Amino acid sequence: MANISIWSLAAFFRHTAAAAAVCVFGLVAGPSLWSAAPAFYPDDPIWTDDDRAFDASSAGAIEDTNGYDFVVNTFGETGERRDVRALNVNTVDDVPDSSWFTNRVGRREMTVAEVVKGPDRVERLSLDGWVVSGGKSSGVQPGFRMTDPEGQLYQIEVDPPSNPELASGAEIIGTAFYHAMGYNTVEVYLADLDRAALVISERATIRDPLNGKRRPLKKLDLDAVFERAARRPDGRYRVLVSRFAPGKPLGNFRYYGTRPDDPNDIVLHEHRRELRGARVFGAWLNHDDSRGINSLDMLETGNGRGWIKHYMFDFGSILGSATIFGQRDRAGYEYIFEHRAGWLTLATLGLYVRPWMLVDYPDVPASVGKFEAQAFDPLKWKPEYPNPAFDNMRPDDAFWAARVVARFTNEMIGGVVQKAEYSDPRATQFMTQALITRRDKVLAAWLNQVCPAVDPALASDGAFTFTNAAVAARAATPAESYQLQWFRFDNATATRTPVGNRETVSSLTGRAPAALLSSGEYVGVEVTARHAQHPGWAKPAAFFFRRGPTGWTPVGVERG
Amino acid sequence: MTRCRFQTLTAALLMWLAAASAAFPQESSTRAELDRQRREEKHRNAKPYEPNGFERAMHFVEERGLFIAGREGVYPKLGSLTTGSGFAYGAGYRDRDLFDNKGMLDVWAATSMRQYWATEARLTFPNLAHKRMLVETWASHRDYPQEDFFGIGPDSARAAQTSYAIRSDLIGGRVGVRPVPLILAAGGFEYLNPRLGTGRDERVPSIEQLFNPTAAPGLGESVDYVRSTASVEVDYRQPRNPRKGGWYRIDFSRYDDRTTGRYTFNRVDTDLRQFVGFLAGRRVIAARLFVSTSDTAAGRAMPFYAMPTLGGNDSLRGFREYRFRGPHAILTQTEYRYEIWSGLDGAFFYDAGKVANTRSDLNFKDLESDYGFGFRFNTDNAIVFRVDAGFGSRDGKHLYMVFGGIF
Repeated sequence: MANISIWSLAAFFRHTAAAAAVCVFGLVAGPSLWSAAPAFYPDDPIWTDDDRAFDASSAGAIEDTNGYDFVVNTFGETGERRDVRALNVNTVDDVPDSSWFTNRVGRREMTVAEVVKGPDRVERLSLDGWVVSGGKSSGVQPGFRMTDPEGQLYQIEVDPPSNPELASGAEIIGTAFYHAMGYNTVEVYLADLDRAALVISERATIRDPLNGKRRPLKKLDLDAVFERAARRPDGRYRVLVSRFAPGKPLGNFRYYGTRPDDPNDIVLHEHRRELRGARVFGAWLNHDDSRGINSLDMLETGNGRGWIKHYMFDFGSILGSATIFGQRDRAGYEYIFEHRAGWLTLATLGLYVRPWMLVDYPDVPASVGKFEAQAFDPLKWKPEYPNPAFDNMRPDDAFWAARVVARFTNEMIGGVVQKAEYSDPRATQFMTQALITRRDKVLAAWLNQVCPAVDPALASDGAFTFTNAAVAARAATPAESYQLQWFRFDNATATRTPVGNRETVSSLTGRAPAALLSSGEYVGVEVTARHAQHPGWAKPAAFFFRRGPTGWTPVGVERG
Repeated sequence: MTRCRFQTLTAALLMWLAAASAAFPQESSTRAELDRQRREEKHRNAKPYEPNGFERAMHFVEERGLFIAGREGVYPKLGSLTTGSGFAYGAGYRDRDLFDNKGMLDVWAATSMRQYWATEARLTFPNLAHKRMLVETWASHRDYPQEDFFGIGPDSARAAQTSYAIRSDLIGGRVGVRPVPLILAAGGFEYLNPRLGTGRDERVPSIEQLFNPTAAPGLGESVDYVRSTASVEVDYRQPRNPRKGGWYRIDFSRYDDRTTGRYTFNRVDTDLRQFVGFLAGRRVIAARLFVSTSDTAAGRAMPFYAMPTLGGNDSLRGFREYRFRGPHAILTQTEYRYEIWSGLDGAFFYDAGKVANTRSDLNFKDLESDYGFGFRFNTDNAIVFRVDAGFGSRDGKHLYMVFGGIF
């Protein structure tokens, strides 16, 4: 009896343990087996991210302050810092259109006129019939609000007396470029304003700058604005007119995390390609003010739901402008609080000379401010303080952004600078040339960190062609050779199986092995390039093709 | 029996796995569907944004707190009343948009950690005639109970430290003209009635215990003055916390003793400050020359409390406040300032100066001197707080922590 009992007990435990093991296996492996995602879905690559799908109308405002944004980003650990591919790119390593970004110059041909026009819906605004409807609530640039006869609200801002045309010129240029790149920007215009013709609405209010309380706006408030304004020789003022974006303001977005109240916001901002890549654009245009508080979230509504549209705005402090004076020498070279340089300065009792202190800024019209291209090093460029998305930028992010920059021709750059309407032709000439030089430096820096093979095409007969983005942008001389390694691709397991030997070619063409193309839905080729000056070209770029009824379609791009 | 139980258990487990599989997310057939599922899940878990405590605190500080110090209406008066007063606190009221924004009224009262106290009302019109003219008038009362006095002349001894109290009412006004924006020429009048008393610094004797009216002219006298002033000032510093440029001022004052006539005197102060920036203005050599001289008619004397003084956080930093006092004084200060971070400068300084009993002794011989280093928390327009450590004087080491700037 005792023996039987002991055997039964042992067997019970044995079977129970086996069952538990099956159970654990089921729990652990089950979900992954059942929901194992393919590498490519039938709808890949997607070009539109439907991030307006769910109602976000209950989202509230997140309005960061200057101090908070500076402190948490300078002394805190904001966002997730890790070397991971951008999480919102499609399978061809591009950015789908979304509430954040709309592919423009990077994906389609734009005329010079289109780029110059930017987001503007009209060519020029007249302020006739407008009324002053309020004070300006934020920012260092003096200004106020006006309403046009249709009731549309605008913000009016002036330039500093020491630097006429400085901030307004920067804002016009920045808006046009950032819009063409693909970001949402508000409409901005230049206009002539006659101080004597201003009419203050009876309902106009202002937050008193002396005590922060809201009160009726008075003529004296406008006097205070114009006291700090550059005046033209004819007595009128050149003003920047910014049209308020449609929708309900929800504060700013952050370069890290997601909004907890927006169901559509599912990608950590520090891992969004267009925010990481903004570092490249920031370097080109010296947008050292690239930070959360210079962004705007607006709640738009339609079809019974609301969604948040994300804007880049406030470009008055880019290029050579610090809005109310010329840029500081440090701008673009160091964070406000630069640990190493500061401690070195302290330890050496000020004998340590920071490199930017030796930059020889050219003697240019005051409307340009402090801007230059000769000492500019894109790879060393920094915003005012750390930006988690910028810190996460990888070579593939930078390559994507640099390709967008490469699409801006000299004519486009010249056209955009013309739009700033600098009264001194030397300012236009200098700014145009500086931006061209800086663009070329940006391309040379960031088109060459990875293999710059792009635009792959695989014909039905196996003929393979591609282009070299760096060479096309004149950022590099042609490669000495390219190596192609073909492979078969298992979409379910993401396994690559090499087919044939590595092939070396000297041109931008190759041929897929016939055996590869005879069967299978997916094939691919790994391309590397050899260039003595660009070791980054040896990092492979892998292209994936899917068999379709009419031939092979590019479906995936990965850059090492 | 056991086998049966095992089979039953296995069957149950398989059924559970089958049921569980239905509960797991189903494989998406498209990328768009996959993203939609992720958003659907977040939609179920969406919650309002809750700012953390630090965020709320920064909002308060930046949106309300910063207004408090510079606010219109009632405001806290913080800082210092005079050199050596200690930290002062009080309340004020100001209105900066009087008379169509042309006038500013500021009324305040404050006391300090060392029991100094003062009150003042000041009405200013800073930008009349298209910013070419300023007019201001004021009335104030000051009660400083423990001012330091070491004797007059360069040979005063630290061991002879005493204190005195001084109380005064002041009423005055001045008019300034700016022919060009960089130059201000001004003139005005002021009535003042300084009254002396026993010093209340318990650590040292009161002035009358060690000094008599011969050694400290004006001691024991109650005199009312009418002071007339004229000054010229040139200011082309850039920015106000200067990286380059200069500030020069000559100030003539006549103190007319309206009570006894024996303490009428003239005093001329010349203050020249030059700033040379290099390395993008992040290194600055700052130099200052201050000369004060006075004259009295025969049989008249300059009261000790109106004499220029040296020593303290803004002159000879290796010495105590008001360490030297005399009818004439000369002071040179040189600083090497270097920016460590934006908002924090380091500095090395050298001060040298002396007071003189006669104008002929007003030269660069036998200067008292010190050297030291400091740190300054600053903005473009002002030093907010500084720490200066002075060494090398015959009076030992001194550390000054000051809300406010140096030259």
